[in-house]
This record gives sequence, structure tokens and C-alpha cells, in this order.
Amino acid sequence: MPHAPDTLLDLPSSTTQTVPEGPALEAASREPAFRHSRAQRLADRWAHLVFLACGLLVVALIGGILYFLAARGVGAFIPLAGNTDKVLTLREVFLSTNWDPNAGKFGILPFIAGSLTVTGLALLIAAPTGILASIFIAKIAPNWMKTLMRQVMDLLVGIPSVVYGIFGLMVVLPWVSGKWLSDSPAAGFAVSAAILAVMIVPTIVSLATDAFESLPLSLDEGSQALGSTRWQAIWHVLIPAARARLLTATVLGLGRAIGEAMAIQMVIGNNPQWIALMRQSTDQTPVLRLLFTPAATLTTELVQELPNTAAGSTWNNVLFAMGLLLYLMTMLIILATRRLSQRREA
Amino acid sequence: MPAPLPFRPRRFARLTDQVMRVGLWGLAAAFIAVLLVFVGVILKQGWPVLHLGFLTRMPETLDAGGGIKPEIFNSLYLVALSLAIALPIGLGAGIYMAEYAGQGRALRFLRLCIETLAATPSIVLALFGMIVFVQMMGWSFSIRSGAVTLALLNIPVITRVTEVSLLGVPRELMEASYGLGATKLQTILKVALPYAATGILTGLVLTAGRAFGESAILVFTAGTNTSQVFPDFRLTVPGETLSVHLWYVTSDGTLPDAREIAAGTAAVMIVVLLALNLLVRFLDRAIRRRTR
Amino acid sequence: MLSPQTPITKPVKLSVRDMDFRYGEKKVLDGLSMDIQAERVTAIIGPSGCGKSTFLKCFNRIHEVSSAVKVTGDIKIDGVDIYRGGIDEVDLRRRVGMVFQKPNPFPKSIYENVAFGPRLFGVKDRTTLDGLVESALRKAALWEEVKDRLKESATGMSGGQQQRLCIARALAVNPEVLLMDEPCSALDPIATAKIEELIFELKENLTIVIVTHNMQQAARVSDYTAFFWLGKLIEMDLTERIFTTPRERMTEDYLTGRFG
Ligand SMILES: Nc1ncnc2c1ncn2[C@@H]1O[C@H](COP(=O)(O)OP(=O)(O)OP(=O)(O)O)[C@@H](O)[C@H]1O
Ligand SMILES: [Mg+2]
Repeated sequence: MPHAPDTLLDLPSSTTQTVPEGPALEAASREPAFRHSRAQRLADRWAHLVFLACGLLVVALIGGILYFLAARGVGAFIPLAGNTDKVLTLREVFLSTNWDPNAGKFGILPFIAGSLTVTGLALLIAAPTGILASIFIAKIAPNWMKTLMRQVMDLLVGIPSVVYGIFGLMVVLPWVSGKWLSDSPAAGFAVSAAILAVMIVPTIVSLATDAFESLPLSLDEGSQALGSTRWQAIWHVLIPAARARLLTATVLGLGRAIGEAMAIQMVIGNNPQWIALMRQSTDQTPVLRLLFTPAATLTTELVQELPNTAAGSTWNNVLFAMGLLLYLMTMLIILATRRLSQRREA
Repeated sequence: MPAPLPFRPRRFARLTDQVMRVGLWGLAAAFIAVLLVFVGVILKQGWPVLHLGFLTRMPETLDAGGGIKPEIFNSLYLVALSLAIALPIGLGAGIYMAEYAGQGRALRFLRLCIETLAATPSIVLALFGMIVFVQMMGWSFSIRSGAVTLALLNIPVITRVTEVSLLGVPRELMEASYGLGATKLQTILKVALPYAATGILTGLVLTAGRAFGESAILVFTAGTNTSQVFPDFRLTVPGETLSVHLWYVTSDGTLPDAREIAAGTAAVMIVVLLALNLLVRFLDRAIRRRTR
Repeated sequence: MLSPQTPITKPVKLSVRDMDFRYGEKKVLDGLSMDIQAERVTAIIGPSGCGKSTFLKCFNRIHEVSSAVKVTGDIKIDGVDIYRGGIDEVDLRRRVGMVFQKPNPFPKSIYENVAFGPRLFGVKDRTTLDGLVESALRKAALWEEVKDRLKESATGMSGGQQQRLCIARALAVNPEVLLMDEPCSALDPIATAKIEELIFELKENLTIVIVTHNMQQAARVSDYTAFFWLGKLIEMDLTERIFTTPRERMTEDYLTGRFG
């Protein structure tokens, strides 16, 4: 019997293999109630495209964000139609610490340095504590404590940036300045980084816990069967075995930290001239000065100044260039985690 | 017999083990303490402000005694709108990734894009929304600019949750459906999605919580003002949310009672988020009950 | 290899009296008593799930790493109770080594795998370590195959090599007892033969307890054989006797495959 085309059978291609042959086929064609309608078949074909379109929309978004930020950002360096101000050199923007928009100075190095400093400090707190907490959850805690810790982490991620910010502003800043700095203002990197650390620690904990829990129990047993203590097994076997994934967790924590805006903006002090201020003041040790000089980052400066600038002005364009820089960092971070996971699989 | 090993006393290793065990319990306790202090202090500071009037009055611009009635409305309205926009797109993309994309390069690339979008700082999404919706489309600071930009935040989360939930549907169940002659679309809509629904719903609640707390995006798209009409369902008016209000009153500094209003607003947000968290736990338990 | 001669009785290394073992509420071993002689190979046989692995793990308390367990009765090593005699489980595990059913090398180099144990016990000197690594690898009959690639990752080796590496790793801390839980179940006949040969040489100065599902293997390598059934010791005797003239009907049925 010749192979019947789909249209005749009114069945989708995916089921043609199970089509009954011979008399059964005739029976099937006498039973129109069991056939897919033309509309159903069409829907099945079009659905694929609709779902694909949703996926493609995400891809388009990634490109669209890049395009629009770049279109505005490059306006600071290239004369475009609609530009109202002068153009700058890359050097003037990326390698200068002089930020004085009213005087035409647009060095964004203080913001880059600020972002890196606050992120670095936050990671310094969050990465070790987060990884240790994940060891606790994966290897030491009894079940009820595991559940409790997961709950705690879930709640910590769920708290909004601005609530972290208001807590810093109303509780942490006064406490620190009263207790540690004899009432000079405490705004700056220290408090920002501490708050940021609490915000990113759940990300690190949850990824690192997964890393430890996915290691086979046989590694743990192998080490302890040789007479290692539990901690020696963790330190000498489990941590090295999970290294790539722990690094991924830290890098993703870094990604969250570098993009955070509102919470830090509320406690960092928003001072674009922080590098100069830090250099001038001499009343404290350099470390304390770094930690407690009111400062600014890429994100806080965007929040602070974007509403005050006119579209098309150099000032405005430089701010978009800063946004573009943040976006490129995000992409870099995601690509880095990709490389890490490829190395893991290899 | 081979020469015995030059075994050192093991006291140090054992001591380290004990110290670390105690230390890790301490660290865990510290995390719990941080959370409790945090939530406790926020609720305590907000408590004196939290009376019915605060929740049902319009905000003031210059005088003390303003409420947060429209901000509550705007928060809920914007979360609902942004979810309504993001849900079909996220569902579609998630279905595509779980059921159609196969295992090849296309899936890897799509996943890369989803991860990138998920990791994109909200301030960057805010800039994008400001350029495209506020300025180019001429929607200015409005509910619609805010809702669409906020949807960008939700899409990757919903996509991921959909994909994961669908991949968790037992293959036998789907094969049974195919075995009855159902089309792929019918199988997905009638068998897989209902099975995955609780998981997706959990993800939706989490997404709603994130959108509810979001501020950076909305400052630059929905604006820091609110309509004087209540309730105002128009999409073209500015719509300041609770989180934006909280930020704005503290940074603006014109209100004499900015501190109280911020504290009260923060307490309201914490209460809402605790409630959402309970809801997630409830849904989670429902899922676990079924898969057991 | 033929089954060994009737051995001269050796001193008792491990003794078990009236032991019950529970995972939580579930009783897995029931009223066990037996003596295991030093420098002999004792094989444990029995159907799946009868508690052989559990029994083995009692001697180094390794199940405590992952499960909540309850042990009653006495288990002694050289006359000292290992649960209550003041022996710390970490010390115990150094003296009682274990080779697992599935090879579990650490994701480190071959050298680092073998040096891991000695390092734990404070051996830092490079030449001492080199010596210990070489002698352990030689004892495990692996030295010739890997001496030129000690720095390579252990996870890239074949299954049989990995298992011998795990044996070398266990030998490097100079244990008194070696517990082997189906060490050959994942290996081909050639690798299996190598490990059996190894067991034969190792019993010179080690007490070996081996769990196996392979009756020929038990007959080939062991001096004594114990037959377990549903958490109980049914019979233990010289291997030769167990395989030729078992006292219990049940043992005979099991060995001849008429079990059911
Ligand atoms: N960690 C555990 N928790 C609870 N029960 C367990 C655990 N490990 C083993 N059991 C149970 O204890 C019993 C004995 O298991 P054991 O692994 O000792 O058997 P076995 O004789 O080694 O079997 P096999 O020949 O299949 O390896 C089994 O019923 C098993 O289900
Ligand atoms: Mg076993």
C-alpha cells in the first residue's frame, strides 16, 4: 500500500509512523470524530513559530539595548545630528579623574574606580562568608537548619534595594558615625560595601551550595576513610573539586554588585570628587579615609544626575556611555561564567 | 613491615575541625541575626506611622501628614501590567527552549541571551526604557513606559522558570499524550503546562516580588509623581510606586516628615514581601506533595 | 590461583559480639558475632541488601559521614572497642583503610592522590613523600604504568587503574586492616585478576575483609568466608569448607544457585 500523504490522513507528521495500515486505516478514515481538524494542524505548525518569535524577541532585546545605549553613548565622542555640545576624546573621559560637567570636564575614572572599590570590598565580605555558609548548609547543618538557612537567604534576596538603602541611611550610618567615627558622617565605601555584601550573599550561597551538593558523596567518604577530619575533607578535597563552580558563584555575585544602584546611592554620599577629597584630607589613616570618604560609582552617578541633564547634551551622552560600560561589563561577566562552566565540563 | 609513617600528633587537625564546626554554626546564626535585626528594625521604625490614615491618604508635596494610597495602587497596577506583558513572552520563550530548541547551538545561544538579560543591571534597563519608551515613543514618564520596561526585568525569570518546570514534566506523561495521537501543541497545552503550572506560578510570585521592590527602572520610566485622581487606570499618567516614593522622599528632602514616611513605606513593603514569601512556600509545598 | 592451604590460626584482629545495626529505626544487622584473624583474607558473601556493605563500614565507622546510625554490641580491634573504647574515629580510619565499590579518586593528580594521606598526617618532606608514593604505587602494582605520568589527572585513568590507585592511596597511610567493598565489580577480567593477585600479596602484613558477589573470587582469594542472609550471619568457616562441605543448608543452596 502506498504511503498516504499527511493531508489525506489529517494527522500531524509526528504521528504518521503509528498510522494503522490496511483495514485499520479505513476504519480510521470512517471515524472523522478522531481526526485533527485543519485548524488544529495549522495551530500546531504556527505555534512553533510563535514560540520561536518569543525567543527571538529576547535576542533582539539584548541587541537593542546595546544599540540604543551605544547610539547615545558614542554621541559624547562623535558629532551626531542633534548634538548640542562639543565632543570629547576617549582619553578625556575614561582616563581622567576630573568630573566637573559645568566646566566641560567629564572624566569618569572616579566612578569606575568607585564601582570597582565598592564591588571589591563587598566581594571581600560576601565571597568568603557566602562560601563558608554554603559549606555549612551542604555539609554540616542538620535538615531543619538547612531549611531555615534557605528561608533566610530567600528573604534576604527578596528585600528591595530601597529598603536596604533606607536601613543603611536610618540605622547603619548614624550607628557607625556615632560609635566609630565620633559623629563625622559615615557615608562612603565601608557602609555601602557592607550593605551590598548582604544583598549579594544569597546569590553566592545558593550557587555555592548547589556546587557542594552536586559533588559525589564518595569524595567525602574517600577522604575521611583515609583518616582525614571532616574539615580536612572539605578543605583539601571538596573545595578544590568545586573550585570552578565556586568561582562562577563569585563572579555572578560580582555582576549583581556592580549593577546595584539605589541602595548604594542612598548611603555612599554621592561625591564625584572623592579621589581629590581623599587626597586632600589628612586627619585619618589612608585606609579609614578610603572607607569613609563620601564617594560615587557608575550606577549612583547615573541615578543622581540623569534627571538633571538634557537629552543630546554632552553631559547626558557621557552618562549613557557610563550605562553602556555597565552593560558591557555584564556581558563580559556572563561570558566569563560560560568559560568557567566549559572548563568544568572539560 | 615497612617503616611506620612519621605521624605527627593530630591535635591541630582535630582542633581545626572543632573550631570550624563551631565557627560555621556561629556564621549561620549571624546570618539569621542579620535578617531578624533587619526586618525587626524596619518594622519597628515603621510601626508608629502605620495607621489607617497613612494607607488611605494622598501624599503631600510640602507638608507633613501625607499618605501612600496612590503609591500602593500604582505598585500593584504596575506589577500586574508588567506581568501581563512579560508572561506570554516568557512562557513562549520558555516553551520554545524546553520543547522545540533541541540541544544544539540555538539553545545555547538563547540561554546565553536569557542569562545576559537576567544579569543586566536594572539601571541599564532603565536607560533603555528611557530612550525607547519615554523619549522615542513619546510616552514620557508614565504607567505604560514603566510597565513595559519593568516587563524586561520579568521576562528572563519567567522564561527560565517555564523552561525548568517544563523539563520537570515526566516524559512518559507526554509520550502517553502523543501515543493518543495528540499534536505537539495539544500535548504542551493540555498535558505539560497544567503539570508545570504550580512551578510556573511559584516563579510568577517570585517575579512579582522582584517587580514590586524594583525602583531604579521606575524612577526613570514611570516617574516620581502620581496622578491626583484615585484610582487612575490611565496608562498615560505618571505612576510613582511605593519603592520609588520611599527613595524619592528621602533624597528629595522637601517633606518635613520624610523620615517617617520612608520608614512607614519600608514597613509596608516588608509586610507585603513576607506575605509573598509565605505564598511561595505554600506553593512549593503543594508541588512537593504532588511529586512525592 | 588455587584456593589457599588450610591456614595456621592467627591472632584475632577484629572481633564482633552481638552487634545490632540500625539506620534510624530500620534494623539492618541483627545479633552478629564473628572473629576476623590478622593477616588473613576474609570474604563476605550473601544476597544483595543483606547488609554486607553495612557490616564492612562498621569497622571504620564511615557511615557516620552521611547517615544517622545506631550500633549496639561490641566491635573490637586488637581488643579495644572501636565505638566506646576511647578510639577516635579519625584515628580508627587511618588504621582501617577502605576501598569502595566504585573507584573514587580525587580530582587531583595521580601523585597528589597517593600523597594525600601522608600529607594529612604531617609528612611534608618531598623525598619522604616521593618514597611513600612510589612504594604505595608499587604495592598496588601500578607503579610501572604510571611512573611517567604522576602529574596527570587521576580521573583520566581507566577504571582498573583508578581502583588500584585507590588501593595505593589507602596503603600509603600504612593501615592495619583493609576493607574492600566489591572492589572488582566495575572492572574487566584482566583488571580483576590484577587486583586478586594484589590481595594475595597484601595479606602478608594486612588483615583484609572483602565483600564480593563473585563466588569464584571468594574461593580464589579468601582464607575464610562468611555467609550473610537478611542481616544475620548464617555460617562462617574456612573458605574451602564453606565451598565443599557447608554445614548449613541455606549456604549450600546459595552457593549452588538454588536460592529462593
Ligand atoms: N544510608 C542508608 N540509610 C538507610 N538504609 C540503608 C542505608 N544504606 C543501606 N541501607 C539499607 O540497609 C540494608 C543493607 O544494605 P547494604 O548496602 O549493607 O547491603 P549489601 O549487602 O551491601 O547489598 P549489595 O550486595 O547490593 O551491595 C538494605 O536494606 C539497604 O536498603
Ligand atoms: Mg554493598
